[in-house]
Amino acid sequence: MAIMMAIPAGIAVNQATTQVLTNNLSNTIAQTSTSINESLTQIDCSLTPSAPSGFGFSRDNTASPFRPEGSPPAGLPYNFVPGQFGGGMPIPGEFGGGAFGGGASEPMNETYYSDIANIAGVAAVAPVLQVSEGHNITVTTPSGSTFNRLVADYVIKGVPLTSIMNDYPILPTNITYGRTLQENDTGVVLLSENNSAYFSVSVGGTVTILDNDFLVVGIYGSSGVSDRTTLYMNLSDAQTLTNNTGYITSLAVYAGTSEAVTSIANEINALHSELDVVTAQERLDTLTQIQSNYANQLEQAQATLSQTQSQAFQEIVIAVAATSIIILFVMLYTVRERTKEIGTLKAIGFSNWNVMSQFLLEGVLLSMLAGVVGIIIGSVAAPFLSSVLLPSVNIFGDNGFRSSAVASNASVVVSPELMLITLGTAILLGALGSLYPAWRASRTRPAEAMRYE
Amino acid sequence: MSETVLKIENMSKAYQLGKRTVQALKNLNLQVKKGEFVAIMGPSGSGKTTLLNVLGCIDKATSGKVLLDNVDIAEMSESKLFKIRRNKIGFVFQTFNLLPYLNARENVELPMENNGTPKSERSGKARELLAMVGLSGREEHRPQRLSAGEQQRVAIARALANDPSIILADEPTGNLDNKNKQEIVKLLANLNLKHGTTIIIVTHDGQVAAHTERMLFLSDGRISKEKQGLHLAKKLICPFCGSKLQPNDHKCISCGKVFGAKKNPAIPEETEGIQSDASQVFNSATDGNSAYSASFTAEG
Repeated sequence: MAIMMAIPAGIAVNQATTQVLTNNLSNTIAQTSTSINESLTQIDCSLTPSAPSGFGFSRDNTASPFRPEGSPPAGLPYNFVPGQFGGGMPIPGEFGGGAFGGGASEPMNETYYSDIANIAGVAAVAPVLQVSEGHNITVTTPSGSTFNRLVADYVIKGVPLTSIMNDYPILPTNITYGRTLQENDTGVVLLSENNSAYFSVSVGGTVTILDNDFLVVGIYGSSGVSDRTTLYMNLSDAQTLTNNTGYITSLAVYAGTSEAVTSIANEINALHSELDVVTAQERLDTLTQIQSNYANQLEQAQATLSQTQSQAFQEIVIAVAATSIIILFVMLYTVRERTKEIGTLKAIGFSNWNVMSQFLLEGVLLSMLAGVVGIIIGSVAAPFLSSVLLPSVNIFGDNGFRSSAVASNASVVVSPELMLITLGTAILLGALGSLYPAWRASRTRPAEAMRYE
Repeated sequence: MSETVLKIENMSKAYQLGKRTVQALKNLNLQVKKGEFVAIMGPSGSGKTTLLNVLGCIDKATSGKVLLDNVDIAEMSESKLFKIRRNKIGFVFQTFNLLPYLNARENVELPMENNGTPKSERSGKARELLAMVGLSGREEHRPQRLSAGEQQRVAIARALANDPSIILADEPTGNLDNKNKQEIVKLLANLNLKHGTTIIIVTHDGQVAAHTERMLFLSDGRISKEKQGLHLAKKLICPFCGSKLQPNDHKCISCGKVFGAKKNPAIPEETEGIQSDASQVFNSATDGNSAYSASFTAEG
């Protein structure tokens, strides 16, 4: 019974996980695709991230909110925290940190790359600082080990509020409430709709970010220049706020014409080979790649799911069959053991039906009791059982970020409906399994039953 | 006393034992009147149990008629027979056959469960019957907390539950010690005398049989002999010559045989230990009827 219950519960969780992933990824891909198309002349330059990185702050992880998680990269302020967000690593399912925003994942000195502005054909260079703020979650892998990872609550994006913003799409354009940021704005933020919901604040309100208060001047719709959890503020505000003065995470280089993009990118590469240079076209290509990867992965996930379902179905069939057979044998044994009693009952005037209903009732009560015990055990052991009995949905198993995509077995919950179904099944099986024994009992000939000791 | 409860006409019963057909009962004829107290005796394999099973509708006759209250049960289908068993027959078994997980009262209520007796009446009736067999105050005891004799009393109360036309007792004293045996026989005799219950006992035990009013000897599937028993004296009939007795007689005026010891067996409440009574019967029987005593001896 416990098995019967754990399996559907596990399947439900797997299905739900896949569904959520599908929705998340499709939305994000659509939005990002739009945003890239709006700025085809853009070239993003950032330091190659070391390992799965980016950087951000985790509130939970630290005694003080700025304490680094791991040692800071050489020459960087102490409080830069290599994390998993904020940079260029695409993480399907967890789109906190500018997965497609093209930010550098490791901080770089803002003055170091001033020569880029002098490259022929470059119209403008916008320094950007992008830092994630989030919390740690503990993820349990199917093998039972656990690890922490940072989930971004929002991404702080500092952009230069200078005249450059008037000519290039460094800020979101679809403002839904209030206004966008203006030149030399300070102490103010532009929130995404997601941010607005997260902070429960609207235009005119105040948000507290890393212990500093900011006035919300506007809210933008989510299909803008950047993705859903990014909030915008003055670059200098962001630098001060994150104790990051003089550092940025990426440079947005704008070519004068779209034809010049490739030659500029090559020149930047020649000047600074340590930089990761990504053109808008490349980002679009990457996106296409991700999209097709995702399609593959989704296919795999669906294959896994259908495999899960057929495996689960087999397991349920086996469990059901085993249960019926056990009940059948237990009841047959009972009938045999009680032949004399049955004979007595018949001799004193119990009809076949009286005897049969008696044993049917006993079978049903027995399996109902078993069902209740099973539900109790199943409720407690469902996560464990479903991890043993079912394959995990492991869509993104290869990139190191599978945790979010794996149906966490800890979330296997036995619903009341499932309990009722289980109880109903138990009763049905009890009736089914005791049908033949009860019939056998009812056919007992009293004369023979009497002689039976 | 003259109404016929049971009438068996030319009844035969055969059954297969491997390839061999065993003719257990052969053209048997028997009549039992209402209020009679009958013993069926015979050696093993003589067909006693088969006869009882046929009478109790738990086995079917191969041919002939078995009329119970003028209804032929030999022809009846199982779907009707259970009602006969329930309402017309009370079974008493050698091994008591009480349900171990039910208490005395619940065991007695069992036969009333399916015949429409209102639930409210069952318990009262069961208590009444248990009182009748001398088990007042023990109604809520489970069988394992009762002595063998007490268990058989419960079984007798259960047999009486639906006011059956006839009580069939299969070796009712077979599993009892001497004292309990006397008690049970006394109980059955008193039920017969006071309530007019028709009782048929199948027994090996000559002493038990002697306390009925009519002893039938089965051998080879037929009733080979029939004798009168001591119980008749309680009904003021001489067991030996059938003459009418006076309430305080212990010796028949007509035939001169002694059927009671010092006390008068005609007073049921004072029924003595079977052994002493039986020895009297033995003595009397030896005097004038050697066949009678021979059969007892043979039965051992």
